[in-house]
Amino acid sequence: MGIRKSACVVMMFLFLVFPLVSQGGVPLDTVKTNVDSVLAVLRNSTLKGEAGKKAKADKIRDASGKLFDFIELSKRTLGANWNKLDAGQRRDFVQLYTKLLEDAYVDKITAYTDEKVDFTKEVPLGANTVEVQSEVKTKTAKIPIYYRVIRKDDGWKVYDVVIEGVSLITNYRTQFREILASKPPESLLETLRTKVGGK
Amino acid sequence: MRGRNNRRRGDVKLPAEPWVGMLVVMVLLLWLFPLSVPAETVEGPKKDAVITEPVQGVDGNRTEGAPIPSSDPYGDVTEKETEVAELEGPTIADPIEPWNRAMYHFNDKFYFWVLKPVTKGYQYVIPEGFRVIFSNFYNNIKAPVRMVNHLLQGRPRRAGVELERFVINSTMGAAGLRDCAAECFGITGRDADFGQTLGKYGTGFGFYIVWPFLGPSSPRDTVGFVADMFMKPTTYVGSGWSTTERVGLTAHERVNQTSFHIGDYEVIKESAVDPYVAFRDGYVQYRTKAIEGE
Repeated sequence: MGIRKSACVVMMFLFLVFPLVSQGGVPLDTVKTNVDSVLAVLRNSTLKGEAGKKAKADKIRDASGKLFDFIELSKRTLGANWNKLDAGQRRDFVQLYTKLLEDAYVDKITAYTDEKVDFTKEVPLGANTVEVQSEVKTKTAKIPIYYRVIRKDDGWKVYDVVIEGVSLITNYRTQFREILASKPPESLLETLRTKVGGK
Repeated sequence: MRGRNNRRRGDVKLPAEPWVGMLVVMVLLLWLFPLSVPAETVEGPKKDAVITEPVQGVDGNRTEGAPIPSSDPYGDVTEKETEVAELEGPTIADPIEPWNRAMYHFNDKFYFWVLKPVTKGYQYVIPEGFRVIFSNFYNNIKAPVRMVNHLLQGRPRRAGVELERFVINSTMGAAGLRDCAAECFGITGRDADFGQTLGKYGTGFGFYIVWPFLGPSSPRDTVGFVADMFMKPTTYVGSGWSTTERVGLTAHERVNQTSFHIGDYEVIKESAVDPYVAFRDGYVQYRTKAIEGE
């Protein structure tokens, strides 16, 4: 009976240490699942017409909300400039930037809906960050798309997308920096509002 | 039914003592529901809170010395975080920005008024299969450029792969019409150019320059472009520098290549806040990756 008891305790301990969901491939699986769900919506041919278009956009917004951490993404895009925005401006910025990216990102992946996406590997970047690498095969080329993810309380979230070596947040940081170098934050928000509203 | 169950239980004698059964159930429960809370349960209400929460002090500048704690998701970024963010991106000098912006607009108009309509017509007339064949042909014929640059970069292995691909594609691939090396044998190559070679030897960009028709470049990559041109067999078609054959081939290659990328330029331009800066940064990042990445 003593052996059985200790075996039970050991088993219990092992189960607690290694839960059902192993930590190994979690970032890759999370990104893959969420990207796949966006692609599934895009490829859904039953959603047609104006109403279908609207439903599609809503579904994509839900899916991209699970995939990205837009606050983290905004902070990393602005870098030191983030601290120059007051609390209200930060919220406005995140909201507008999210809208801009949703429009842009959806456009971009819509262009690839017929292509094959392969998730190849994950490369650790820092203590809490991992790069999930994927490859889109087109007729004449292979396009590397890397998702950089960070561990948050509610799972792994994308904070940057690197396409052919070009980082999304770095690209926007350069653009925003030029604006903020000569103008106040409010004018950046105004530019974003015009950009997003004009869609 | 009940009797049979009872009998089986009795046979196996599973819960020898009640606490063992309890323990098994507990372990199972803990195993199935680990301590970390799944994403969905937290996300919903938190997100709503972010949107509906009344924002105070939207107007007016932030008072200095009242930092928002970084524990708040909207809190200040710390110095360490910004350092990482600032160091991430490579930059380029842009002393001739007025010229570059003018050329950017020129190329933009060239794309929308000439290249795109021509390519659309071409796309309509030539089926995709044929366009892939042309693409393979132009790609195969540039093998010498890649071979030489891989060698100059001290990568004989990669140069060897290019040679191998060139031999297979030029023979079994019907003079380069088919990428048989990749399709039949799974041998894939890597791009290499002289601008990249110069970069690997430590030459910097110099500064940003936008050429009419050709687009973003730098003095280094311009030298690279010219050097690569001398290694391209299509350069030696025809007898002079601007014969009809050469110009025709170059234009066809460009249109054929563009036929696979209609819409890409538009998407990048549309999503940008300042397209000129977006393309300049895209060029710098792309080239830096080509030189420093692996």
